[in-house]
Formats: sequence, structure tokens, C-alpha cells
Amino acid sequence: MKLKILPTHLREKKRYLAFEAISQLPLKREDVISLLWDTSLHLYGVCGTSKFDLWLVKTWNCPFTGDYRIRGIIRCRRESLNEVRAILPTVTRFNGKKVVFYTRGISGTINSAVKKFIKLKEEDE
Amino acid sequence: MFIDLHVHYYPGITIDAWKMGYQGLVLVRSSEESPSNLKGSKKLLINNKNSDTHGMDLSSKISTFEGVEIRAKNPEDLKRKIQKFRMRTDVLLVHGGDLKVNRAAVEDPRVDVLAHPYRGRRDSGFNHVLAKKAAENNVAVEINIGYLLRNRNHRRQKVLAQFRELVKLKSKFHFPMVITTGARSLYDLRSPLDLMALSKCFGMDKESSFFALSTVPKAITVNSQLKHNLISSGVRLLE
Repeated sequence: MKLKILPTHLREKKRYLAFEAISQLPLKREDVISLLWDTSLHLYGVCGTSKFDLWLVKTWNCPFTGDYRIRGIIRCRRESLNEVRAILPTVTRFNGKKVVFYTRGISGTINSAVKKFIKLKEEDE
Repeated sequence: MFIDLHVHYYPGITIDAWKMGYQGLVLVRSSEESPSNLKGSKKLLINNKNSDTHGMDLSSKISTFEGVEIRAKNPEDLKRKIQKFRMRTDVLLVHGGDLKVNRAAVEDPRVDVLAHPYRGRRDSGFNHVLAKKAAENNVAVEINIGYLLRNRNHRRQKVLAQFRELVKLKSKFHFPMVITTGARSLYDLRSPLDLMALSKCFGMDKESSFFALSTVPKAITVNSQLKHNLISSGVRLLE
């Protein structure tokens, strides 16, 4: 039997963090996940990471000249937003090549995160 | 308004920094480079304008300043180089790490920033005596995030401990503190708001890290003109 889902007031509040990664190697979704988990475990350990409810929602590949760019959305608990944000600047390398993550913005829903920070019109770029 | 007080020039730095959320940059060169190069970082920017910004005009959105990082062997050498470079540049940084150089740098009011006093050391290279002097002479102490990111594993935790010691001294003696990236390429740049979140890891609260990324660097770039004519604190040479 499936568990009944929690009533809304008992669910954890979430935040969605839109990011962009620039790298010398092409990154896949799985690579981003392992990068995030490894750095988070490095920075906060198992105990700290367990509190974040970290989840990579979706990634988009961006056509761009020069380096490889990928955008994506991370889900985390509302209370631990700042800690999750601090993970991103500490990512430095992937398979011996350089990579940099930066936050593009924070939002309360996936929909608005995509609209505001992921799929931009040409003139805003 | 966020300003990164310590970046090195590479083609395209202005647009990268602007996208990350900076509104000001200080392009730093080492004092060891030939003097003819020293005046050049802004010129380079102007020459490469189109390739740097993909044809966009960013000059109204992001302001750039020039800086010199002085590498000195001993305090006398430092004094001589300060004399030489103070008039030629906007921001004067001192390459810290050696205890005697650290001490001499915070005792000189013409110096703007003491860069990474903890570099290559086991301790933070800073104590209450230097902290008092830095507060007196208004010399900012730099926290270089690039130095943290270049180190790994147990070395990285050591660096965090050094940062924490500086922050502890800062909360008692109130000397100015700046957070910089020390970037040499796109892969060293970090967004200022992310850095604010990261600074919690070494005990800085939100307000003081915001100050360290915006208000303090801005004050330094504005006051650099005043510092040109400074003899000692409170004494200024009038034309």
C-alpha cells in the first residue's frame, strides 16, 4: 500500500535555485549530480548534507561559443538555502578540468525559476 | 554595488564579472612586471573592447580601476616600492605572508590592502598588534577566496581556520576587511552573493560579508585619490 502524502502544512518548504555551470568538458546531468553531492559531503559532511534535501530537478544545455555551458535547477529546503548556495562556489574541478558554478537566481516554484533565470530572451543575455 | 578588489586581466573579464553580478573591478598587476606595463591594464581593456564585451558597451555598468600588488623582500624594500607606486595607481596592495612585511604594511597608511597575510603560513600571520595598527591606519585585510579554492582536503580546512581567526580579530578591532576572488581566468570568478553564503563557513555574518564585498572596496577606490598625498595619518600634503 502506498503511503498517504503529508498534509501541506506538514511538508517541508522548498526553494529552487537556478544555476549555470561553465566547464572545459561537456557536463551531463549525472556529472552535475555527482559534483554537487561530492562537494556538499566535502564541505558539510554526511550529517550536514542530510538536512538539505538536495535534489537536481532538471538541466538544460546552452548553446554557447567557447566553453561548455549548462543550466539547471536545484531543489533544497527553504531553511538551508544559504548553506546550499555556499556549495556552488567551492566546486572547482571535474575530471581534472576546470569548472565553475554560479547562482543565477532563487525562486519558490520551478515554473518561475525557468521563466526568470533559465530561458531568457536574446536581448537579456 | 559589488566590487572585486583583486582580479588579474584576461580578455573578456569585464563581461564575465558583470554577468556574475559585479559592478566594479580592480585589475591588479604585480610590481615585478616592467614599469611600462604597469599603466597598461586599462589600456588593454580599451584596445580589446569589442572582443571583450561582444560589442556591448559596459562602461556605464561596470567601472574598472588599476591596482598594483607589491612584492617585497623586507620592510625597507616595501617602503621604497610604496614610494614608487603610490602615485601611479588607484589601489595599492601588498603581497603578504612574511611576518615583517605584514607588520610594515599595516603600519603604513599609504597602503590600501594587505593581501593574504596568511599565505604559505601555518598561522593566520595576523595578531592583535597588527590588527590594532590596521584599524589605526585604515589598511584593509584581504580574504582571498581563490586561495581557499586552490587548496584541497586538509589544507582547505586549515585555510578556513586561518580565515576564521582573521574574522575573530576583525570583530574585536574593527579593521576594514575585503573579500576577493584573486581571479586569473573565468574559472576563478565567483558570484558575490554566493561568496556571501560561503563566508558563513568562516564565521562572517551576512552584514559584514556584504560590507566586505561592497562598501569597503568602494570606499577604498574612492579614497585612493586622497591617499596619494598622505604623509602619515592626519597629515596631508597640500599643493
